[in-house]
Amino acid sequence: MNAVLLGLGLLAGIYAVALLEDRLTRGSFAPAAPLLAGIALLARESVVARKPDRLLFETAPVLLLSAGLLAAAVLPLSPTLVLVDLASGALFVNAALAYVLVALLMAGWGPDGAYAMVAGWRFLGQVIAYSMLIVMPITAVAIRAESLLTTVIVVSQEGWWNIFYQPLGFVLFYIASLAVCFLPPFDRPIAAGELAAGVEAEYTGARLAVLRLGRMVLVVSLAAATTVFYLGGWQGPWLPPWAWGATKVLAVAASMLLAGYYLPRLREEQLLAWCWKLGIPLALLNIFVVGVMVLAGL
Amino acid sequence: MQTFFIGFFGLAAVVFAVGVFRTSSMMRSALALLFSQTALGALFLAMQAEFLGVLQIMMMATEMSIMAIFMVMFMMDPGGLGGMDMSHQKRLSLLAGLGGVVLVTGIAAYTQWEGLASATEAAAADEQIRQLGRELLGRSMLVFETAGITILTAMIAATAVAVKVPEQGGSHES
Repeated sequence: MNAVLLGLGLLAGIYAVALLEDRLTRGSFAPAAPLLAGIALLARESVVARKPDRLLFETAPVLLLSAGLLAAAVLPLSPTLVLVDLASGALFVNAALAYVLVALLMAGWGPDGAYAMVAGWRFLGQVIAYSMLIVMPITAVAIRAESLLTTVIVVSQEGWWNIFYQPLGFVLFYIASLAVCFLPPFDRPIAAGELAAGVEAEYTGARLAVLRLGRMVLVVSLAAATTVFYLGGWQGPWLPPWAWGATKVLAVAASMLLAGYYLPRLREEQLLAWCWKLGIPLALLNIFVVGVMVLAGL
Repeated sequence: MQTFFIGFFGLAAVVFAVGVFRTSSMMRSALALLFSQTALGALFLAMQAEFLGVLQIMMMATEMSIMAIFMVMFMMDPGGLGGMDMSHQKRLSLLAGLGGVVLVTGIAAYTQWEGLASATEAAAADEQIRQLGRELLGRSMLVFETAGITILTAMIAATAVAVKVPEQGGSHES
């Protein structure tokens, strides 16, 4: 029952994100557009490059989709609406997200095309920049909750959400989650204006549909993770818990799609420099401050 | 059920490990090693060591991907189109492999499993994490800190070796 409800919720979330992206990128609002675009992609011929590494080429879109789904599986929408409440849930989110990198490397290498390959390796550089900014803020969240259970993390934020308790961690995690979903300004792996869609360049038809769906799931998963870790999950007055959960997830997803308009794109080496020289020290400072606050009983 | 999954993931780990040497594409080789390690992580999960399993699955993805780019950078034929052979020192490897199998089978056959199984009944997953945390910050702290500092030193040394120092007083044309 939970699986069905969560599946439907995820589908609704993906659809809403697709609509939002359409609205934000093209300025049009057509409620049927994502559905029609999906059908069109499925009906179109799915071309395979001339000398692909077939195994990697075929696996990549499915792996990207699975990574997003697995991350979503441990994130609760309400106290009871969670697929698996793993004891190491917060760590598992990160473990699942690590396979986004593997999927994009496969998608880059698989089709044997220059643009795709450059874009795939580029994402590796991006991961080296952002990965610590995912793990370290989650550590600070777990310190406060004294647990890695995602449901306990939500309960630990009663009265004082983590966005106020550890704002520094929130900012770092939020920026890093944009980079995980390779949304603008971190859309280097699919750099539309420069690498002819990068890792998506050689994908067409049904395979491209799965790849794009995977990215949508990723956006929803990261929005859900931000909600659970920093925005008090299902907590809120008047409305039922699941409604609060869903509203927050959608709001975070919308803000993630909007952020690209207001943040400048960085070159790879700039991103690496900023993340390592500023981001990681700040993340360590965040862990320290949260540790002191927890010990002080705040 | 548990035995089935332990067997399944164990077999998957072996199959992927063999795959590492059966291909001559650096990318396939690195990814086969990754999925062999991921199968080991899943094996931990099947053996109710949840935290270790998740940690293994998480760590290997980034590590093996970084290894992949180094393999692609350093090999002359990263795509494996030239029919390069991935195996060498065949006789030694064969003997070492057979020796390993004999050793592991011997250990498995001569261990008294009955006493062990009841003594180490797996604790609940959240209790395991708590125990692991106490272990890491207690008795094992020195070991882990030493390992950490050693790795950090190696990283700094490797970077220092790799960075090209500009020549002093010479021309900077090239």
